[in-house]
Amino acid sequence: SGLERPQVVAHVQQALSYTLFDCKWVPRSARLLCLGSAARGTGLLQLYELRGGRLALLREIEKAKPIKCGTFGATSLQQRYLATGDFGGNLNIWNLEAPEIPVYSVKGHKEIINSIDGVGGLGIGEGAPEIVTGSRDGTVKVWDPRQKDTPVANMEPVQGESKRDCWTVAFGNAYNQEERVVCAGYDNGDIKLFDLKTMSLRWETNIKNGVCSVEFDRKDVNMNKLVATSLEGKFHVFDMRTQHPTKGFASVSEKAQKSTIWQVRHLPQNRDIFMTSGGAGSLHLWKYEYPAQRSKKDSEGAEMGVAGSVSLLQNVTLSTQPISSLDWSPDKKGLCVCGAFDQTVRVLIVTKLNKV
Amino acid sequence: MGDESVPFLLDQGTTKTYQIPIGHLDYKFIEKCTDVKHLEKILRVLRSGEEGCYPELTLFCEKRIEHLDPRSRALRKDKPAATASDFTAEEWETINSDLMLYFPLVYKGNIVCLFISRGALLCTIIELIFFITLRFDVEKECSRIDEGCEESSSKARFFSRPSLPIIEKNIDTTGMTKKEKIFIATREKEKGNEAFATGDYVEAVTYYTRSISVIPTAAAYNNRAQAEIKLQDWESALQDCEKVLDMEPGNVKALMRRATVHNQLQNYQTAIEDLNKVLCVEPENAIAKVKINDLNMTRKRLYAAVFHSKGGGSKAEERETQKQKESTESGLKKGTSQKEPQKHLSDHGGEVNGYLHSGQKSESPEAEISRSHVAGSQSAGDGSSTSLPPAAAKLKGEGNELFKSGQFGEAVLKYSEAIEYVTGEQSPDDLSILYSNRAACYLKEGNCSDCIHDCNRALELQPFSLKPLLRRAMANESMERYRQAYIDYKTVLQIDSSIQAANDSANRITKTLIDQDGPNWRQKLPPIPVVPVAAQLHRWDGGDFISENKSKSTTDEKFKTLKNEGNDFVKKGKYEEAVNKYSECMKLNTEECTIYTNRALCYLKLYKYEEAKQDCDHVLQIEDSNIKAFYRRALAYKGLQVRKKNMAAGGHKKKRKKITIQEVTESDEQEERQFATSEDVVTDHVTSKEAVQTSVPLETSEKLHISEPSNAYDFGQIINAVNTNKDKAACADLLTITDPKKLPVLLSNKLEGEVFLIFIQSLEYYVVGKDPGLVYQHLFYLSKAERFKVVLALLSKSERKQVQQLFDLLSENQTNQYSLEDLESLKKVYEL
Repeated sequence: SGLERPQVVAHVQQALSYTLFDCKWVPRSARLLCLGSAARGTGLLQLYELRGGRLALLREIEKAKPIKCGTFGATSLQQRYLATGDFGGNLNIWNLEAPEIPVYSVKGHKEIINSIDGVGGLGIGEGAPEIVTGSRDGTVKVWDPRQKDTPVANMEPVQGESKRDCWTVAFGNAYNQEERVVCAGYDNGDIKLFDLKTMSLRWETNIKNGVCSVEFDRKDVNMNKLVATSLEGKFHVFDMRTQHPTKGFASVSEKAQKSTIWQVRHLPQNRDIFMTSGGAGSLHLWKYEYPAQRSKKDSEGAEMGVAGSVSLLQNVTLSTQPISSLDWSPDKKGLCVCGAFDQTVRVLIVTKLNKV
Repeated sequence: MGDESVPFLLDQGTTKTYQIPIGHLDYKFIEKCTDVKHLEKILRVLRSGEEGCYPELTLFCEKRIEHLDPRSRALRKDKPAATASDFTAEEWETINSDLMLYFPLVYKGNIVCLFISRGALLCTIIELIFFITLRFDVEKECSRIDEGCEESSSKARFFSRPSLPIIEKNIDTTGMTKKEKIFIATREKEKGNEAFATGDYVEAVTYYTRSISVIPTAAAYNNRAQAEIKLQDWESALQDCEKVLDMEPGNVKALMRRATVHNQLQNYQTAIEDLNKVLCVEPENAIAKVKINDLNMTRKRLYAAVFHSKGGGSKAEERETQKQKESTESGLKKGTSQKEPQKHLSDHGGEVNGYLHSGQKSESPEAEISRSHVAGSQSAGDGSSTSLPPAAAKLKGEGNELFKSGQFGEAVLKYSEAIEYVTGEQSPDDLSILYSNRAACYLKEGNCSDCIHDCNRALELQPFSLKPLLRRAMANESMERYRQAYIDYKTVLQIDSSIQAANDSANRITKTLIDQDGPNWRQKLPPIPVVPVAAQLHRWDGGDFISENKSKSTTDEKFKTLKNEGNDFVKKGKYEEAVNKYSECMKLNTEECTIYTNRALCYLKLYKYEEAKQDCDHVLQIEDSNIKAFYRRALAYKGLQVRKKNMAAGGHKKKRKKITIQEVTESDEQEERQFATSEDVVTDHVTSKEAVQTSVPLETSEKLHISEPSNAYDFGQIINAVNTNKDKAACADLLTITDPKKLPVLLSNKLEGEVFLIFIQSLEYYVVGKDPGLVYQHLFYLSKAERFKVVLALLSKSERKQVQQLFDLLSENQTNQYSLEDLESLKKVYEL
């Protein structure tokens, strides 16, 4: 059965001359973007194309501030504008065909934007396209690219409360025009779920260690699952279908490795399979298995969720340096790109995902 | 492990991390260790290399962990990415070409994207995919989306339950390129599949609907149909299946699903037509075949019911005829079209399995036609049942059913009717079978004389048929007509020597007859009929031979399942049922001792000590050292209050304990798991019983040698047992074989008032008369035992009196083994 398991093939490796922070597939193409910081402290944006067994550099764009993160989540499939967050706290939207000036630009945060996510574009998520940014300044802001300068929502700590570094943000629950949530993870282990429909904090929990990455298994369905990874090598899978009045969401946790799990990404074609990337240059491919019954009644008759289990499908070690970014191709199942601190971008093929 | 490993530890110390004894880094230890956590620690130590590098041992340890817990995290190793060498050349080729094939298309699309034309809104020229890619004003696009949604929601065809989230049913595709549509349609379908997989069928239907709203694909319709079937929305499912079949007329899944729907809507004919179409496309589709058969049955039954209501009672017979035909028809179909495992229905299914090779079969008279029939007539199998007049066949079938469900009385009536029907017709085969079946019922009812009567008739009609012979033998045996039973069993064995039950019974009876008639028992037997070679040879007929093989191959499995069922019953405390299951097992395999020991346990629970004893005897004949059998026989003896047989003495005890433990790990797990507990419970009684048995004079040929307790533990065990039973005789026996000098050692620090007293009493009642010298010795050494003074100080007046009496007896029976002075000084020690 060993051969029947998914295998991870390093299809292409490309060494870069700058620090890579994020990499993203350009939807409906064989192209990918690398975002990072050049040695002299400027921001770099490279567009590569997969040609045979190599990556061809199509375009390189240099910007004033190092670029930390990017997303295509709020753009249409036709436009494919890239939204980025940089070290200066700026949110920019770029037309890659004409990258000289941004299509949209706002100084959204006082400090670095650590994480960005988009929804409502690419045919993913109902409702208006929106972008969420999370920053070191402790705020999480939701932007509508149609609305200049001011965020449509701003989630910040109450005055007097200490500001936490927000490390990760993610959209979810966008299954109709009204519903939408944002999940944010902070350096102290807090996970907060903001309901954008009611503009309220819907749920919060703490997983003890800094939350490096959160992601819903799908943004555009009735909230199903959420994975949160942490600084000390654990990740938690929350079943988001059933919220208990006091206990919140049921979860299962798994320790993947000794080092930080930098990122989690669900396979776009199957929400129950996801990959985590680790501090020691490793990748782990997981599958979530649902319990027989996803919810049950507690002693007071309130519905509470029942967590399933997680099984490891495959793991590989690609580098000695942390793999900080990970992205599945939305088009080709099993195609994946990852960027590591060893200044290398790798295109991977994960086989036999159909058989899982 | 405890005691032995201590010096080992001192010698070698522990590992630096985790402080694991060095001795644990050893093949033997790892092999036996079942503690995964501990093994993981060992593995970490081994991998770290801090205690030296042992690649083989590390590997061995990994394997052991994998064996115990395949999902252990310790097994996760850093692995490099897979390379060409991890795949076959073909696979590698596919992986690479797959990507190449996928992307050129996308790539072309991208080049086109470079020539973006602006402004053209709401164009319908989307089909010009490669040359014009539209670009929208964001705001306009969004407003359009909003409008579209309002529109589409009104169009929604499916109702969601109010508690469920409201999801749009249609996706507005205006302005999308074909590729976008494909992308979105696929994505929505995937969402549907995921929802389906988690059982959210309503959600799944919604997402399939959305997918269809973008691009109507057969796959999405087909999947939606399946989800609708799950929701029992038959009408919608039917429509969807039809859509699929419009697009892909030969779609097997859609046909199958439509058949299911038709079946539910009771359009049986159409359902059958669909299934037939499936079989046109996939002639080997097993599910379709099964379904067709089921449908045919349902349809016929329905038809018959209608017919019946029209025609009234007079038509009943006709209906039965039809039923009969139908079943044979379906039977034939099954037989010819495929070799699927099927339930043994009324008629000839039982044929395949030889009698008594399959435990279940032997229970049911329907298997009747089996060997006896093959032996008797060449027209075996199908022919036999069809040759019965329909009404009789029906009666017989009903009788069989009744028999199976345990209603033997009713079955007898049915068979009797059938017999009346058949009598006078020229079908001795059938009549013989009917008699034989009725005999089976009588036997089950315990009506042995009628059983024998019927068997006689059956045998008149069909001489040397196996089943009637066996049944008559059993009936005779139950009536204690052992000689006749013996003859019948022997006859059976001439026909087929492989029938184990007959073998066993014959042996059993032999013993009884020897007991009853003495060594010349054979002379009192009536002559055993000689079976004509013709009858014997039929056993080797081609067809039968094959069936023989078949039955053998299935025997093992059946045996297992029966045994497991039996074990389950034991777990539930249903001992009677368990006994039945085990008994069936025995018919399949008489060699397996565990079955006998298990059954013995059940008998014990049911207070059937005699049967339990017999089972244990049987096991002990096969395996003379089967500990369980000894245990259980001891229990049986206890139950029977028979104290004449003797098993093992105290000396064997420690050994025995050990073996029990080994059993837990070595022997058949299933059995162990459940008996471990009952065994524990029983142990106390057992030990006491055994101890008692030590006291019994060895008289039978089976007796075992009692060796004296070799250590304090053994001794303590026996004493405990003796003490709980207050069995002075046993205690006396123990003291007789125990060397007095060892007494202080054996007693260790366990001397107590009760023990002391029982010693005194048993010495007084049993030993002093025979061997006063020994009594003196014992008393002398007893006084040297630890805690003697304490015990003595705590004796009551009457107890002191008893000791005094013993000393009096000693002085009366004084021998040259001790002087009166000795006795006096000893008396002083005993503070008398």
